[in-house]
Amino acid sequence: MNQNLICLFAVAFFGIFSATAQQDYPTNAEVAQRLQQMASSGNAKLISLTKTEGGQDIWALRIGKGDLDNKPAIAITGGVEGYHVLSVELALHVANRLLKDHSELLETTTFYVFPNMSPDAYSQYFSNIKYERRGNTVKIDHDRDGRLSEDGYEDLNKDGFISKFRVESPLGDYVPHEKDSRVLVKAENEGKSTNRYRMFSEGIDNDKDEKYNEDPEEGIAFNKSLTYKFPAFEPYAGDYPVSQKESRALLDYLFERWNIFAFVTFSPANNLSAPLSFNKSDAEKRIVSSMLEKDVEINKMVSEIYNETIPHKAYNQENQGTGGDYFQWAYFHFGRLSFSTPGWWVPEVKAEIKDSTMVEENKDIKEVKDTPETNFLSWAQKEDLKDIFIPWQEVNHPDFPNQKVEVGGIKPFVMINPPYRMVDSIAENHTNFIVKLAEIQPKLEFHNLKTEKLSGGLTRITVDLFNNSPLPTHSELGVRSRWLQKLQVTVNKEKKDLLAGNTIKLLDKLGAYEKETLSWIVKGGGTANIKVGAPHTGYVTINVKL
Amino acid sequence: MNLKNIKNTAILGLFSLLLNIPTAQAQEKFFRAIGTPHEPEVQVSWNRYYTYEGIVDIMQKIAKAHPELAKLESIGKSFQGKDIYLLTISDFKTGDPSKKPAMYIDGNIHSNEIQGAEFSLYTAWYLTEMFDDLDFIKELLQDKTFYINPTINPDARNEYMNNPNTPHSPRSGMIVLDNDGDGEAGEDGFNDLNEDNHITMMIRKSPTGRYIKDQMDDRKLIRVAAEEKGEYEMLGYEGLDTDGDGEVNEDGIGYYDPNRDWGWKWQPDYVQRGAYKYPFSLPENRAVMEFVMKHPNIAGAQSYHNYGGMILRGPGAEEDKDTYNQEDIEIYDAIAKKGEEMIPGYKYLVVYKDLYSVFGGELDWFYGSRGVYTYTNELMVSYLYFHQNEGRGNQDEEMKVDRYLTFGDAFVDWGEYDHPQYGKIEVGGFKKNFGRAHPGFLLEQDAHRNMAFTIYHAFHTPKISITEVEEENLGGGLKQITATIYNERLMPTHSSQDLKYKIERPDYVTISGANVVTGMLVKDADFNKVEEQKVNPEKMLVENIPGMSSVKVRWIVSGGGNYKITVDSAKGGVAEWTK
Repeated sequence: MNQNLICLFAVAFFGIFSATAQQDYPTNAEVAQRLQQMASSGNAKLISLTKTEGGQDIWALRIGKGDLDNKPAIAITGGVEGYHVLSVELALHVANRLLKDHSELLETTTFYVFPNMSPDAYSQYFSNIKYERRGNTVKIDHDRDGRLSEDGYEDLNKDGFISKFRVESPLGDYVPHEKDSRVLVKAENEGKSTNRYRMFSEGIDNDKDEKYNEDPEEGIAFNKSLTYKFPAFEPYAGDYPVSQKESRALLDYLFERWNIFAFVTFSPANNLSAPLSFNKSDAEKRIVSSMLEKDVEINKMVSEIYNETIPHKAYNQENQGTGGDYFQWAYFHFGRLSFSTPGWWVPEVKAEIKDSTMVEENKDIKEVKDTPETNFLSWAQKEDLKDIFIPWQEVNHPDFPNQKVEVGGIKPFVMINPPYRMVDSIAENHTNFIVKLAEIQPKLEFHNLKTEKLSGGLTRITVDLFNNSPLPTHSELGVRSRWLQKLQVTVNKEKKDLLAGNTIKLLDKLGAYEKETLSWIVKGGGTANIKVGAPHTGYVTINVKL
Repeated sequence: MNLKNIKNTAILGLFSLLLNIPTAQAQEKFFRAIGTPHEPEVQVSWNRYYTYEGIVDIMQKIAKAHPELAKLESIGKSFQGKDIYLLTISDFKTGDPSKKPAMYIDGNIHSNEIQGAEFSLYTAWYLTEMFDDLDFIKELLQDKTFYINPTINPDARNEYMNNPNTPHSPRSGMIVLDNDGDGEAGEDGFNDLNEDNHITMMIRKSPTGRYIKDQMDDRKLIRVAAEEKGEYEMLGYEGLDTDGDGEVNEDGIGYYDPNRDWGWKWQPDYVQRGAYKYPFSLPENRAVMEFVMKHPNIAGAQSYHNYGGMILRGPGAEEDKDTYNQEDIEIYDAIAKKGEEMIPGYKYLVVYKDLYSVFGGELDWFYGSRGVYTYTNELMVSYLYFHQNEGRGNQDEEMKVDRYLTFGDAFVDWGEYDHPQYGKIEVGGFKKNFGRAHPGFLLEQDAHRNMAFTIYHAFHTPKISITEVEEENLGGGLKQITATIYNERLMPTHSSQDLKYKIERPDYVTISGANVVTGMLVKDADFNKVEEQKVNPEKMLVENIPGMSSVKVRWIVSGGGNYKITVDSAKGGVAEWTK
């Protein structure tokens, strides 16, 4: 306890003097401090959208220059899952680098950074009992039995971590992994005699329902409680979607940001290493549940940019969205381009290459498959990481008297969040990716302006409107959404002076490198000012002398 | 039941005759009509409509006149800051209203569908005024609670009444959105060209028009045959191109649909037109949702709409078909079929099959998310005019109504107008308060019949009692106590939707004053099939008490003495038995 306090003071102390002194992921207080520091730089403004039930601020950092609301913007979100502490640090790092190193980009692109959407859950990383937490601080009856939080975690071995416990039992369905016996895997019942275990989340069955930790003292998970494929009545989802203060505050804020054209989210889902796949029948259903065909093409292109920018090869990146999550919401229910990446994953550790004759000889021996856990342990060994595994240690467990019960396993957090020293290079790569994404934002241009004098003081104006970008102004889904504005074409002339063409005209979209020819017949002299755009594409104007 | 009522009423009638002799003179102006409160404490005319202020006034009067039966509260604020008032109606002397099985009633979610508010209010008025007169109502309010929320769209109710509108507008609330996607919100709504507070139709003489005025009744436009020349063209509802984009009336109030805003299988606007940002992003619905979440005793609900003479149940969308399972549908069917008999001209229908598709509707949220048996009655149907099934918006029938029944009150005669875009036009047509809204002379009757249906609905929320407690001596100082708990109404304490998702907590059957060795649920009393509850057997958890049936709970106790058994059910109320 005391030691922790000292640590906390030390971190806070260093934090004040230098951000580089950070040795571990930042606490909520340190996050606030760093945001405030950035906000004092001039091109950033910090506001708190709301306070969570746990009293934590939901921060929004707006980065840009000039008329922020009327130029294309990217929303960068971290802390979508509270246990994914890396994501918060990535959002902060990216924001800092945009401010420091990409000043010229801020002329053309606005960035909204929401560094931590789960600060209540996030704080568990710094608590005396550390576990990978998703839920906020509200009181929720996860198992819906009429009793609140009656079966939470207990730190049986008092090491400050919630891991697993195993019970040696012939009835068990887990066995040690053949390659690394510290890891337990589901038994395949092949008749080998080995110790069998039952395995549970570390805790006591407080309510005697033979389930462990099924109703802990935590509330709703941000990333499981939004509207797209909302998993009603499941733990952490709540009774209805968008039920929490933080989710409402963020969505209310976003619904007023018409200029966001893309989301980059640091969350466990990944559609950047590989794009989402297209499913024709799901895309054609009334309730659209596949990314639409043309949008998959965009995803593919952006994914290629990502893979060129990020040196790490994808491994175990199967999560392409889960029910009620944020990154899918941004596309399916908000109509914007939406990209998500965990930022980091445990790389694949290839087994030592054996000589071919040996492989030939041992053909009959089944190859032992790696699991994510064994792969992680191999990688940790290679990287010489210490202190990532809690050795199985015998304890007395009140629910299993006279049985051998051991607590242990891989430490929480370490498989999802890299050692802190790796963060800087990850952040640098991801900043580069976001900069590249901003550089291909929709870009409207006028070309080939022609004015032709007709008799009787009439002028015909013709001009090509061109989208000089590999991205369309509106995704295929975005065209359908009421929350993305159409391209507005206006001419500052009286309606009576326009013999052909309107003072205001709306265009549904302009594709990648697509042009549209606009024309008017105007009566009288002077100048005509033509303006085209939407908040998420920015506006272009041209002055025409009549 | 009926016989008993008749007898009681007769006795009551006799009593009042005897009691009232001295004051007979003061009453000789009136003679009691069966079925209606005679000389009510609160005088209300049920042949007209009330603005928000009028509704609040009646609600306040009811609460003031019947303090032991009615309580008024604001459950939240509308977008424009009006209080959303709700009346709790129950016999407060016979227990906590939040512990009695409850019926929730609201109206007017669509602002132009006004009469749901009067029908809800009529219910509150009738129940409080009849409490002393009828045993049935007295018993009903002893057993049950009614939560009555006449208008859940007060802002736009007043907009509909006080400002120019069509029969179909605003429908949404008063939040103004950008409907045409041009970056401006609400810049081109209706314009009341002839300043009569109704938005009627614009027509123009045109050589290419396809309509002529009927020679027998020049208010009526009729379409000419394909090969004939017409005289008039239709230009739509009264309005101008206010913003100069070449469109008329394309961006008015709203548009969103408050009945696409509820948190069960909600879908965004491009799937379900009218959806707003996310479920309960409209403050009025949020207030209702929060009230319902805080009142788990609500077991039945009614949300009044118009138009069409329907008793509707969900699902709203075919994709949600599996949510409504057979056991619950049987209960829905039993109640609604009785409703068809009680309200002539009304049909029991299923939204997605018989009407149209709705995602995020109120009735689906009540049932899907809270497990509450809920109907929407679509009030008013043309059947009520001449007892013919002429269908919705039948111009010939409507003209006949206005000629023989309302004598011209329903129609704005064609008048000339100089339109800045269209030139010389004529403006006229049916008024906004005709068609969807009942004419005054049909209002009270239909209010009563629909109320009778909601009373039937409320009557069949669960009614729990402990009907029998058996004791058996097991020897060795042990005793077996078996309690039978009976639910004498159609609805179970947990709908099958509720059971599927464990929406509401189990019913608690508790024994106190006894030394409990163990407890069990008796699954089959004849063959002694039991299920033991090992943990905390004093408080037995019963997942459901089905309608029109009973469950048995058994304890083995040691020692003697008196004991007490309590049933505590969120939707079934509380019942006690004491030895």
